Amino acid sequence: MTPLPSSQPSGRPPPRVIAVVGATTFFGEHLLGVLEEDPRVDRIVAVGEKTSPGAGAKTRSYELDVTQPGSEARLAEIFATEAIEAVVHVGFLQVPATAAAWAHEYESVGTMRVVVAARKASVGKFVGVSNTWLYGALPSNPNFLDEKRDLRASRSEPFFADKIEAEAKMRELAEKSPETSVTILRFSPIVGSTIDNLHTRWLSRSFVPTLLGHDPLFQFLHEIDAIAALKHALFRDVPGVYNIVGEGVVPLSLAIRLAGRTAIPLPRTLLRPLVSALWLAELAEGSEAFLPYLRYLCVADGSKAALAGFKRAYTSREALLDFGSTQRLRDARQLQEPRR
Amino acid sequence: MSKKASNKGRPSAPWSKKEAEKRAAERPESVAPVPDAREAEVAPAPQTREAVLEEVHALEAELEVLGAKIHAEHEARLRSAPPPPPLAAAPAPIPAPLPSMYDASKEVLSTNHFTRTWSRDALRSKVEDVDDMGFDRPFADRIAPTLDFLHDRWFRVESHGSESIPANGPCIFVANHSGTLPVDGLMLRVVLEKLSTRETPDFRWLAEDDVFHFPFVGSTLTRLGAVRACQENAERLLARGLRVGVFPEGLKGIGKLFRDRYQLQRFGRGGFVKLALRTGTPIVPVSILGGEETQPMLARLTFFAKLFDVPYVPVTPTFPLLGPAGLVPAPTKWKIFFGEPIDLSAHGAEAATDDLLVSQLSERVRSEIQGTLDRAVGERKSVFFG
Repeated sequence: MTPLPSSQPSGRPPPRVIAVVGATTFFGEHLLGVLEEDPRVDRIVAVGEKTSPGAGAKTRSYELDVTQPGSEARLAEIFATEAIEAVVHVGFLQVPATAAAWAHEYESVGTMRVVVAARKASVGKFVGVSNTWLYGALPSNPNFLDEKRDLRASRSEPFFADKIEAEAKMRELAEKSPETSVTILRFSPIVGSTIDNLHTRWLSRSFVPTLLGHDPLFQFLHEIDAIAALKHALFRDVPGVYNIVGEGVVPLSLAIRLAGRTAIPLPRTLLRPLVSALWLAELAEGSEAFLPYLRYLCVADGSKAALAGFKRAYTSREALLDFGSTQRLRDARQLQEPRR
Repeated sequence: MSKKASNKGRPSAPWSKKEAEKRAAERPESVAPVPDAREAEVAPAPQTREAVLEEVHALEAELEVLGAKIHAEHEARLRSAPPPPPLAAAPAPIPAPLPSMYDASKEVLSTNHFTRTWSRDALRSKVEDVDDMGFDRPFADRIAPTLDFLHDRWFRVESHGSESIPANGPCIFVANHSGTLPVDGLMLRVVLEKLSTRETPDFRWLAEDDVFHFPFVGSTLTRLGAVRACQENAERLLARGLRVGVFPEGLKGIGKLFRDRYQLQRFGRGGFVKLALRTGTPIVPVSILGGEETQPMLARLTFFAKLFDVPYVPVTPTFPLLGPAGLVPAPTKWKIFFGEPIDLSAHGAEAATDDLLVSQLSERVRSEIQGTLDRAVGERKSVFFG
């Protein structure tokens, strides 16, 4: 990761006391590790269901479940007593959960509680994560979706609906409390050697089902670039919504081949019931609401983020190649599976 | 040259005229003496010249006889003796072990084998690299001979007025749309590629949603340079300095019945005019003659359409009758007329919000293309020969 310049473009000084909410997730764990190493950070507060493996000497961990009623008051109390200057909210699910009610509490309601606590403690900075797939794969999409577009992913799929609600809450914070600098990072599908999410699980199957006759363009972000973007958003004053995407696009067929997998193209009339059945049997990564992404484009425009100074080390293709090489090691049982 | 010739002539000097005559007599009648003018011209003295000529003739004759003899011998050998078995001389090959039932079944039942075979097959059609909009240069290059065949031999496309196309910078080609399977975008691409002096293909065209999202068609067209028709995409292409082809009739243009051929439909909502106004790009009207007769649509069926995710099922003289083979376009004679570029930059970018102006300009482009088409249809003597 490149060292960030110490000069600050705007008047706000970089935060020295940072709270990471969702510290047990992939982003939380690695962000804790990165912040531990950063000399600009004095203290880190990790909030999660249990102690994060990324916690180090500078970190104070709080075990707090945001699905519990009343957790917002406790959270606000933590923010106030620890004199938190910035909150990073990364407590989101990377894989669709079959327990939809719990997922709703965790993502939608949980985010609401974090936002309420951040407002109560008048935190100076708030960084939240989101997803470019929330734009939805629609036939009317242009090739590149910019940040001004509405989030029109299927609301019937809890994975999207909860995240869209959560993002709305975070944007509400930006509107209601102007003293808080709110940055929302919409990540494109993330792949890498250690992350475990919907996309890596899907690309880990030896046979990857696709839609016959359709080959949409995909973009991938490397996990390291995602962590780097979170850090950039923390230390530079970049309020607003940003698409954080890997450079370049890759056709789905090529993506599967780069990951070292075999695509199984199936007609839509066959794949739809198959995916529904597998999802009900908890054998598929996602429900049939994800099938449009195999058919239509959902590619985001990362030019705004590039102007704001977000840098990426990997292109879409390189991120996939990195994922593919670790996948090859896993196939040969030379590398353990990613931590779930 | 002259030195070489005289050198050739010199050793012939010791030959006597008598001997030369004798040799000439031996020469068979069938061989006509061919006097070599060059040799004769350069010969140094008149007395040796005769000798040289004679000598050359004699040598030629000898060669002829010898050649004929060898040829005859060879023929005779071929005819008389049967050819020896070719493997007899070669060392005996090691006999390959016969595949046992066990090996064969192992091969068949091994999923790894199929995975390997299938991935090899998949790699054969591999995509090398695509640009941001999905254009796949290696794939386009692979398809190019087929498109060239369609352009040169099948449709024998003739282009007129291509000198008026702006040489540099982006422009918007606005054309009439036709054919049940719209190949006009592809043909326009071939024509412009042939005219272009640029190293990389710089023409992209906008395809309407129904075509673009149709299985196989859409993914193939994307790789050849088609982009889904919308303002954002068009602006992005123009901003990159590419030339953009637009078919404002859209699906209505493809779906014309045969009796309505060359009757231009409504030009959308003037999106291409707004695009030109906003970006200050010139519009080049393009009239494509011949596309309408490639697949004359007699009727549109809508009751099956839902099943195949298409807006309608076309009925042409060949299509449902001959199956997929019926979709092969008829080899009509195509003519593509490029009009004078229309520069709208005088109106300014804010004129794009003036709906009345937009519809007037759109109608102007439409009537120009319609006029060119009407004229061309009137002048045409034959659909197939132009």
